[in-house]
Amino acid sequence: MTFDLSVITDHWRFLAYGIGVTVALAAASGAASLALGFVVALARLFGPRWAKHAVVLYIDSMRAVPLLVVLVWTFFALPILTGLTMRPFAAALIGLTVHLAAYAAEIYRAGIESVRPGQTRASLALGMSRAQILRRIVLPQALVRMLPAFGSLLSVTIKDTAIASVIAVPELMRQSETLAGQSFQPIEVYSFAMLAYFLILFPVTRGVDRLYRHVAHLGRS
Amino acid sequence: MSRRAKENGAKIIRYRGVTKRYGAFEALSGVDLDVHAGEVVCLIGPSGSGKSTLLRCTNALETIDGGEIEFEGAQLPRVERTLREVRRRMGMVFQSFELFPHLTALHNVAEAPRTVLKARRAEAEDRARAMLAKVGLSDKASNYPAALSGGQQQRVAIARALAMEPDVMLFDEPTSALDPETIGEVLSVMKALADEGMTMVVVTHEMTFARRVGDWVAVFDAGRIVEQGPPRQIFDAPTTERTRDFLSHLGWHGATL
Amino acid sequence: MNFDWSVVGAHRDALAAAAGTTVLLTVTTMAIAVPCGILVASVRLYAWAPLRAIATAYVELFRNLPLILVVYWAFYVLPIATDLRLSPFATGLAALALNVTAYNAETFRAGIGSIRRGQLEAAMALGMSRAQAVRRIVLPQAVRRILPVLASTWVSLFKDTSLVSVIAVTELAYVAMQIRAQTFRVLEMLTAMAAIYWLLGYPQAKLVDWIQRRYAVTE
Repeated sequence: MTFDLSVITDHWRFLAYGIGVTVALAAASGAASLALGFVVALARLFGPRWAKHAVVLYIDSMRAVPLLVVLVWTFFALPILTGLTMRPFAAALIGLTVHLAAYAAEIYRAGIESVRPGQTRASLALGMSRAQILRRIVLPQALVRMLPAFGSLLSVTIKDTAIASVIAVPELMRQSETLAGQSFQPIEVYSFAMLAYFLILFPVTRGVDRLYRHVAHLGRS
Repeated sequence: MSRRAKENGAKIIRYRGVTKRYGAFEALSGVDLDVHAGEVVCLIGPSGSGKSTLLRCTNALETIDGGEIEFEGAQLPRVERTLREVRRRMGMVFQSFELFPHLTALHNVAEAPRTVLKARRAEAEDRARAMLAKVGLSDKASNYPAALSGGQQQRVAIARALAMEPDVMLFDEPTSALDPETIGEVLSVMKALADEGMTMVVVTHEMTFARRVGDWVAVFDAGRIVEQGPPRQIFDAPTTERTRDFLSHLGWHGATL
Repeated sequence: MNFDWSVVGAHRDALAAAAGTTVLLTVTTMAIAVPCGILVASVRLYAWAPLRAIATAYVELFRNLPLILVVYWAFYVLPIATDLRLSPFATGLAALALNVTAYNAETFRAGIGSIRRGQLEAAMALGMSRAQAVRRIVLPQAVRRILPVLASTWVSLFKDTSLVSVIAVTELAYVAMQIRAQTFRVLEMLTAMAAIYWLLGYPQAKLVDWIQRRYAVTE
């Protein structure tokens, strides 16, 4: 079995483009899901009862349905319902955001709930408004605890971008598939893909491990 | 019984020039101490002075780097299996109780007799009940540790150690993690044990206990024993500056009994 | 826009069989990944240094790769590396098992490591051997912490079985999308696929919640 790396070097631009799309998709859906997740978490914690139920249903549904199904449905079925055509990247962005926001919302909720209720009581006694309490007292304390979990979510986000390959988004996984098919050298190409993903993800998971250790001693405030 | 009388008894534990290092830090720098049968030896001194370290070296939870420790006439073995046999003859009570949270009080006390001494279940549970009665907790036998107060948990821990019928009991700051109200109940159990003639080595900050119940007190500082003697000497007429400093920092101004 | 939902009913047998394959994949993968995970965790905790390094490398590798890539890689590389001609199902199973074993190993290792050292010391101070102490005192407590995480991994695995559809394993995602291609009923079939996953997955998610509540650790 010969290992011919020329297929990689000859097409490095093609593969680099894929890496670029991977990073862009991860960053965009990561940011969007952080924002959407925050709104959802607030709705669950402070919203009216119907909102709470709706949010719980949404979150549990995202835990039950695979991301592949969400992406495929968003790309192929949603346009039929809405009449809008969608480019693969957009569909992937929407699907990933909606799916990840559910997890982000849970992280926000857990972080906020982990701050001792006494903190809120003391702040109310001082005459602060709920919004002020959240912004100035609870969130700053909660943020530190949430960091490791968000780090994990980032790692998951990057890995999940690879699933967007099934709806033809030209990220790294898709580019690798295409190149492997055309060159008949799947071993070299997929091995390269594995190396690339590993090099991107390893620093993230390592960083998360360090964060978890750093935060572990905090426990409850 | 005074120390003098006990001095004629067997030396249960002998520490000779015991040294222990953690990396560059020397936790114990040549400790010499004797513990006689039936004696209560109290180790006092500032935090980090090596008292707990010495205790943990005694039942080989930590290994020493120099000197020797003799238990009942023989050096502490190095082979794990023989070491285990030695550990059976020593009972240890921890500052953080370390009860097994997934077992009831009764099973906590019966666990070691069953697992280590291979006692039959009924026999082990009978012995456990007796030990729990001894520490005054018969009615808590089927409670889990989470449902017990700190003082109660520590008493169960003492019962657990006693169930193995040890020759010596090692106490590592047994009341340091307790609320003031519950310290008394644990110290009472310890005093009763001492009155029965149990050999005890106690690391403690409870000076009144050391003064009343102890037969011999050793004052630690920076890995060494700076002074040792009967409680009368240590507390009423200390002979070294370090001892005087330590006691005055604790607000000890002579016996208040 | 006309919808023909009868196409779902017409293919209900195929869909049911496919759902069965999904469940079979999940169960079989876990049946392999739990004992293997325990093995790897034990190596990482107790074995000789070079073996520990290999186990750690294995875990770190699979924590840092997308599963879909592992599936493709297994499909193309496994036949050449092992000279075996594996069915798509077996290949998919291998990829899933390799992945989940790594996660389980981490779960077991962290679970056991989370038990306070003092518990082990108290047990040994009573004269128990290290093995006895681990078996009777550390492990029972570790199981309480491990179970909720394992349950969560199970549900993730259930969803991840959809990824082996890319190598034509006849589980739910693949079969549903095949029917879509044959009947051109895109919205109906894709919605039905999502609905079936939802019906199977929602109760599992709720079960995980219950397990996490019941085994919440209070010290």
